[in-house]
Amino acid sequence: MLELRQLCKHFGGVRAVDQVSLRVAKGEIFGLIGPNGSGKSTTVNLIAGLLLPTSGRIVLDGEDISSLATHQRVARGIARTFQNIRLFGQLTVWQNLWVAENRDRQQRAQPVMPRWFWGCEGDRERLGIALEFSGLAHKRDDLAANLSFGEQRRLELARALASQPKLLLLDEPAAGMNAQEIEELDARIRRIRDAGVTVLLIEHHMELVMAVTDRIGVLNFGQKIAEGSPAMVQNDAKVREAYLGTAAA
Amino acid sequence: MLFIDLLQSIADGLLFGATYSLIGIGFTLVFGVMHKINMAYAAASVAGAYAGLTLLKLAGLPPLLVIIMACLAGAVFGLLTYVLCFWLIPLSHPLATLMSTVGMLLLIDEIVVHLTAGMPVNYPTVMGGMVSLGSFLLRGDLMFIFTIAVLAMAALMYLIYRTRLGLATRAVSQQPVAAQLCGMRLGQVNALTFTISGALGGIAGSLIGSAVGLLSPLLIAPLTVKGLIVTVIGGLGSIPGAIIAGLLVGAAENVFQFVRGVTERDIYVMLLLFVFLVFRPGGILGADPGRN
Repeated sequence: MLELRQLCKHFGGVRAVDQVSLRVAKGEIFGLIGPNGSGKSTTVNLIAGLLLPTSGRIVLDGEDISSLATHQRVARGIARTFQNIRLFGQLTVWQNLWVAENRDRQQRAQPVMPRWFWGCEGDRERLGIALEFSGLAHKRDDLAANLSFGEQRRLELARALASQPKLLLLDEPAAGMNAQEIEELDARIRRIRDAGVTVLLIEHHMELVMAVTDRIGVLNFGQKIAEGSPAMVQNDAKVREAYLGTAAA
Repeated sequence: MLFIDLLQSIADGLLFGATYSLIGIGFTLVFGVMHKINMAYAAASVAGAYAGLTLLKLAGLPPLLVIIMACLAGAVFGLLTYVLCFWLIPLSHPLATLMSTVGMLLLIDEIVVHLTAGMPVNYPTVMGGMVSLGSFLLRGDLMFIFTIAVLAMAALMYLIYRTRLGLATRAVSQQPVAAQLCGMRLGQVNALTFTISGALGGIAGSLIGSAVGLLSPLLIAPLTVKGLIVTVIGGLGSIPGAIIAGLLVGAAENVFQFVRGVTERDIYVMLLLFVFLVFRPGGILGADPGRN
């Protein structure tokens, strides 16, 4: 599904991502963990096309997407959420979802003017499903800025799904959530995977990562130091060292 | 009698102020979406009015259609401004696009002066008559430009707040990174914004021309200044703010002219701007707080 081949991103002399190779299989929930500053967010930005790699390749379903622009990658089925929520604060819940709905690119058969002005036939039904998933149907016409923190996180997730992705990148979706909200998030991520979407999860909350992921990759100082099942990764000496320091290893 | 005259000058100013509103909207629209100032905007608007007149004469159309021709020409100039001053220039440098648009402003000014030999040209006036209510008069041409300006603003508001294209521009202005991840092309949305603002500018330019009966390159500098004043007083990035501020500046200007004469008028308009900058620097309807 997604493959990173010797991916590098250097900022001046800093090797934020250094020779990282990963394979994420279709239908998998893949966790990407590592201490702060280990290059996780940079990796996600590279995959989403917000940054271009210094060297290396990003391959999606056999196609090299390394140098494609963000909107082209979105068209190929990549969506993401942000660690610091980035909703359209002055748009309503419904409008936030509608922005992400991009079927109109694929429905060139329909005449241009109505498409650009009022959207496509079927938008309403598809967005209804995303709205239902967010659990915000009762707040359909509220401004996103007026939602609670947890609701904003749910809306951002629903917006990412509204573009009907094949691969969903979640950047620390549990940040700032309480135990009960994390439990709900766990269930949500599984539902997304069961709907056929491959998930790449970046997260600091280890309980969630260990519970929900199928496989995990660990980054430290921009390099991959381990990859495998949650149990394998937990018992890996290098991983323990990275997280706890040499003395505790 | 003085009171009636004062009322008269406020009414005339309000009606004419609608053209300032249009110019202010053009500045604010581009600022809202790109967070950049397009200094060439008023110049492109006046150029649109000239080009509209030329097109009208070439095609031999009735004078009323000059507004539509100017609207089309303005849209082309808006897009041209985007391509030359923004698309070709690295956006990351905060001053680069400001300087490129100042250059464009001077370039357009020079071209207009060159093509017209610096002489004003006659502009078709529509609805020359008056409606009198006692000693209170409403000028037909001013009512006409006010009506057209209001229609243009209504169309714009519909486009921005009720259509998918408008949704795209608002999404980009609030959260450009997320908008890209929703599949939007920033370049396309920016180009669209410039085209729409250019079309409004063309309308404004032709309305001013038809209200005065003349079009002169001397219009460019004061219109640039008035447009910026309206944008600041209305609140950078706020369309309703620009509408209110345009009417306010139009009315205030006419009152200043009535009380102190035409040569002193603009001094007080500047003072009005100063008062706003000191006491309400965010403008009447400060910018969208949606950018977090």
